[in-house]
Amino acid sequence: MEKRYGSFAPSVADLSFSLGQGELLGLLGPSGCGKTTTLRMISGLVQATSGTIRVGGQDVTHLPTYRRNMGVMFQSYALFPHMTIAENVAFGLQMRKVRKPDIATRVASALAMVRLDGVADRKPRELSGGQQQRVALARALVVEPDILLLDEPLSNLDAKLRDNMRNEIREIQQRLRMTTVFVTHDQTEAMAICDRIVVMNRGKLEQIGTPLDIYERPATPMVAEFVGRINRLEGQWRNDGAIAVGDSLIRANANGGTGRVLIMIRPHRIDLAAAGEPGAGSPEENMVAGTIRHITYVGDTLQYAVATAGGLLQVEKATSSATDPFQPGDSVALRWKTRDTLSFSSEATG
Amino acid sequence: MLPKIARGVHALSIILILMFLLAPVILVFPISFSADAYVAWPPSAWSARWYVALLHNEEMVTAFRNSLLIAACVTVITLVVAMPAAVALTRWSFRGQDALISLFTAPLLLPSIVLGLAILVIFAGYGLVSSWPGVVIAHLVITLPYALRVLMTGLGTMPSFVEDAAGTLGAAPWQVFRQITLPLMTPALVASAALAFIVSFDEVVISLFIAGTQLKLLPVSLYHYVESWTDPLVAAVSALLVLGTLGIVLIVERAIGLGKAVSK
Repeated sequence: MEKRYGSFAPSVADLSFSLGQGELLGLLGPSGCGKTTTLRMISGLVQATSGTIRVGGQDVTHLPTYRRNMGVMFQSYALFPHMTIAENVAFGLQMRKVRKPDIATRVASALAMVRLDGVADRKPRELSGGQQQRVALARALVVEPDILLLDEPLSNLDAKLRDNMRNEIREIQQRLRMTTVFVTHDQTEAMAICDRIVVMNRGKLEQIGTPLDIYERPATPMVAEFVGRINRLEGQWRNDGAIAVGDSLIRANANGGTGRVLIMIRPHRIDLAAAGEPGAGSPEENMVAGTIRHITYVGDTLQYAVATAGGLLQVEKATSSATDPFQPGDSVALRWKTRDTLSFSSEATG
Repeated sequence: MLPKIARGVHALSIILILMFLLAPVILVFPISFSADAYVAWPPSAWSARWYVALLHNEEMVTAFRNSLLIAACVTVITLVVAMPAAVALTRWSFRGQDALISLFTAPLLLPSIVLGLAILVIFAGYGLVSSWPGVVIAHLVITLPYALRVLMTGLGTMPSFVEDAAGTLGAAPWQVFRQITLPLMTPALVASAALAFIVSFDEVVISLFIAGTQLKLLPVSLYHYVESWTDPLVAAVSALLVLGTLGIVLIVERAIGLGKAVSK
């Protein structure tokens, strides 16, 4: 299976990716980045200005929506309010002229799959948000689409329900080996269930990769910042492959470069120790001295703001029942692995 | 103490306003059963003689039948024209869309005497005055804006993306319209049909200009009747009109809920 995009209307430009059979691909990006537009282009609700979309070798770019055989689950669910739940789920099968008895069986098994029994004769407004969502999922899946398209499916649910539903979607998707595109602005959601993630920003592709790639080896500073909290430091490459930040030297995951460089480090990858055993660090580990400015307690973590020669660094530690050994004003040593030090030379920093 | 008094004043003022609004409407019922030869309150005796007189008044019966027929024609044509127009104006986007919407709803803002005169001037040249098609077309000028408004609001408040969803499930555009758009539009359709019917049936000013002397319409005949007679026959007609309108409102209420029909 393959889909290719050329350049599109301003909202999405030059986007190109392919999708494997049975794969769950996430389209991740801030709101307005064009991910929903991309989804609507795949489903045919929006016409691509240029470029091609292919499904299983067949070019569907110019097929109208109703001939594309895509299952779409809308953010607002878009259930038909004047039909019962069973009629909602049966709609796609009726359009495909499936025989009546077969429709009944398939509707029943689709509702059973999303664990919605006994609501078949109710109207959508009599159901809770979570139940409506299950109906929407059953309605999209019952027609056995070539691709399942999910547009922010979890954003209208409360936090607890969201996690359950997320895992359930993943479980059903894997059971059916359903090729799926999942649009979300929530990086945790995308990381948790996607095989691969396409990170988009301002209509452009930033990176395609596994959740691990995206998190550990972000291609651009935008990706690094979008998928989690991260520190930024500005530095200068030196000839020996180290980076000068203020008056300290830092080694990064890259071996060298020239000119200005942006360094990024995740707050929870930095270790905090009492000052006293100064050292210049090692090839595997960076070490910088600093002073604690603020400590914020947020329950499962403690967040330290530490002033260093290169600037303020955020450090995050899991809390324990033991008392926090540090006070604001303490001098500390910050250590972190060089492989956790992401570097973006100025041409990549945009 | 004070809240109690305030509540009392509140209730009293509501009753007064309702009486003020409804008194004339309610009053036509007792007057229509007057036995007197002229409109007077209170009637000196009761009878149904004016209803009998109405049945034997050939002009009124003809006018009543004509008005019903015209209103029915106008209602059907209004829906047939306004429905696609409303879909086009809300679902597609094209240049001059806002200008078109303003143009289509402009007749609502014009005094009907201006409209009546303008239509008369134009129709005179085509022999449409005092003809059935002429009256129907003239009425459409004022019923279409109402219907268009109601239908556009109905389409605008339709739950988002349900039509898109039907498309993704394999419904061709005409199937989407038949199975999704139309059923969801039913309240707005019933409401605009009722509005178009009542507006056409009640229209006096434009009908005065266009219907002329040959084509009798109920509001016009009633108007002329009041000019020369003062007997309670008009009260009998009015009472029937009030009941008829009430009937339509009840049908709308029964079918879809009045609040829903007017607001959504």
